[in-house]
Amino acid sequence: MAFRRAIHLLPRGNNCVYSLWIPCLQKSPNAISQTVRFPRHTDHRCGRTTRTLHTGTPLMVAKILSVDELFSKTSLQEYLKKTEAEYNECLRAANSGVPEEQSSEDTLMSKRTKVSLLAPLIQSIRELDAKQREMAETEALLKDEDPALRELAELESEGCLQEIQDIRQEILNLLIPEKEADLSDLVLEVTAGVGGQEAMLFTNEVFDMYQGYAHHHGWSFDVLEYMTNDLGGVRSALASISGSQSYKRMKFEGGVHRVQRIPRTEKHGRMHTSTMTVAILPQPTEISFTINSKDLKIETKRASGAGGQHVNTTDSAVRIVHLPTGVVAECQQERSQIKNKEKAMKALRAKLYSMKLEEETSKRYNQRKVQIGTKGRSEKIRTYHFPQDRITDHRIGLTVHDMKSFLLGEDLLDEMNSSLQEFSNQETLEELLGENNQQGS
Amino acid sequence: MWKRSLSAGYTCYGCRSVGPKRLWGYHAVRSCSAPALPAGRITARQAADLWERHFAERGVTEPDHSSHYILAYLLGAKTMESLEQEKLTEFLSPEKTEQMWKLCSKRLSRMPVQYVIEEWDFRDLTLKMKPPVFIPRPETEELVELVLTDLQMKPGTEVGTQETCLEVGCGSGAISLSLLKSWPQLKAFAVDQSQDAVDLTGENALRLGLQDRLQIHHLDVMKDAETVLSLCSSVSVLVSNPPYLFSEDMAALEPEVYRFEDHAALDGGNDGLEVIKHILTLAPQVLSDHGRVYLEVDPRHPPLIQRWVEVNVEEMHYVETRHDISGRPRFCILRKEKDHKLDLD
Repeated sequence: MAFRRAIHLLPRGNNCVYSLWIPCLQKSPNAISQTVRFPRHTDHRCGRTTRTLHTGTPLMVAKILSVDELFSKTSLQEYLKKTEAEYNECLRAANSGVPEEQSSEDTLMSKRTKVSLLAPLIQSIRELDAKQREMAETEALLKDEDPALRELAELESEGCLQEIQDIRQEILNLLIPEKEADLSDLVLEVTAGVGGQEAMLFTNEVFDMYQGYAHHHGWSFDVLEYMTNDLGGVRSALASISGSQSYKRMKFEGGVHRVQRIPRTEKHGRMHTSTMTVAILPQPTEISFTINSKDLKIETKRASGAGGQHVNTTDSAVRIVHLPTGVVAECQQERSQIKNKEKAMKALRAKLYSMKLEEETSKRYNQRKVQIGTKGRSEKIRTYHFPQDRITDHRIGLTVHDMKSFLLGEDLLDEMNSSLQEFSNQETLEELLGENNQQGS
Repeated sequence: MWKRSLSAGYTCYGCRSVGPKRLWGYHAVRSCSAPALPAGRITARQAADLWERHFAERGVTEPDHSSHYILAYLLGAKTMESLEQEKLTEFLSPEKTEQMWKLCSKRLSRMPVQYVIEEWDFRDLTLKMKPPVFIPRPETEELVELVLTDLQMKPGTEVGTQETCLEVGCGSGAISLSLLKSWPQLKAFAVDQSQDAVDLTGENALRLGLQDRLQIHHLDVMKDAETVLSLCSSVSVLVSNPPYLFSEDMAALEPEVYRFEDHAALDGGNDGLEVIKHILTLAPQVLSDHGRVYLEVDPRHPPLIQRWVEVNVEEMHYVETRHDISGRPRFCILRKEKDHKLDLD
């Protein structure tokens, strides 16, 4: 699927809207060194390009553009100009004083709101203009005859260049709106796919990887459901993750993960391919999503018999059925029944909420390469190839090596995620500029 | 009382029935009925499976959960489900194997798992458990929830408002300690007629660092009502999980309950209301105006309690009956309201 889409982009390569997508092969070394945000990950890509080609990764993968490349796009420049013009217009209208008619009061209000919304962006655009003028002046000095002055100008231009980069990055960040769900916590769901026991073992490893990732970021990781088989595999598991930016950094992990290796149990040394699925469900707040308690059936061991002081049961598992949908959540992680009930409720809320989100968003974002927030996807997003010690993300064609470190859920996974974030931002930007372009034409 | 119930446990298995509790242990029981210690090494999962089968053969209730909880406890987890999967396939050390045999042999005598591992969870607390002090049941977690929800809803209970609570029959301290833990402005009085319970509540309070806001007294509300009144007054919450079983039901209890838990914490007299009536009589004297009583009771009790209070206790009004997670009428809420006539005087 990813491959087909990438191909899809090529014929439109000259189209203004899709001109952001430049095949990997065209990237200039200069552009790489200027990707400001994640220099370490850039190193990976540089060093491993040839190996990536050998492993059968599609060649025509859309690349992550550097800040400079983005800013050299006319579409972006036009968008910024248009936004500034809109801001000035709104500002003028807002300052022009009392409206003559009652009806225009609302328009005035909306213009004022727009002014305050756009203010930080406009501020940065103006800063950038000023810096660029300063840069031009400094560049003139670089040709000066006085060597001391030239040296000074060189120093100054270096600092200036850095500041320009920072402001540009800032502008890009301001252009990409924060999603509401980005601020929420999440529930992670892992499910074994094809491959039997091997798939279940791998599911366990991936679950551990995210536990490590949560630990790495200082998030809490609370297991809600953990369905195992007798041989140390995991059929499915749920965990609640909360902490700063947890959803934002986990949301790209959803999808089918594929593992290729010789299983420990394999006698003839044959390589197996198995899969597991990861779903990232944003955890709704009590206010934004309510469940009617009449729709719930709660099952416990104590439901039969007298209960209370009459009996001492230690089985504190709780199972909750949402009657209208038949969705079930259960928990037996805790010795306290009320804690199990709370956790099962949390899992149930996340499951129901993701179903609701799925309905709302599946149509809207179906066209995107990096999908988020939806659950029932069958698309393979990443391959863990043990014999070659590599992990390839198919959405952005990024390959990293060192399986052991990757599965720790620390820096390597974090870098992969940053690239996905970058790429998704670019897609958002592209949509923004695309819309702008259509409106303009 | 508890000595008697324990000695019933001894005779049942033909072990020596005299002597202090600590002599009654693993060797004696093992010689009775436990499977022999394995000669070679076994994995954690094998040990759990072996004991599960053995419990089932010997008619021990919840054979799977019993062996799982004991194993999880030995491996430093709370439940089998929360254990790392790898640990189950690893071999048990000889020490752990011996401990597993020792603890499971206790369970074989029908000792409740909570007494075997000497701890259990109540809401978000882990409490020490010790025979014969009553083991808190899951329903009581809901009783605490009711009190906490009302405290949150109550107007004027922002930070800094001092609330006081009295618990009658504190047992291991589960209710009072949970309330104190969740409500930092709360102070609590806890009373119990059993010295073992008073000691255990104190020990649990100390472990949880909640001792500064808790006063524990060895008192019996049936006999020492005056003393209770002299110690505390104007409390806003009176909460209790009193003994509420009908005496006639006692004989039908599982051996886990009948032989190991303090009968004084279970037996509520002929109609199960003996202690409840004393608590409700005391209520208007210790409560502040609009103060509330929260009781866990037998499902047959709520209508009886409502009628009895209307006839016998002035100033106490029956507010409502609440149901437990399984839908049984389990909790009674009452409120103190001074009569308007008195207010006008």
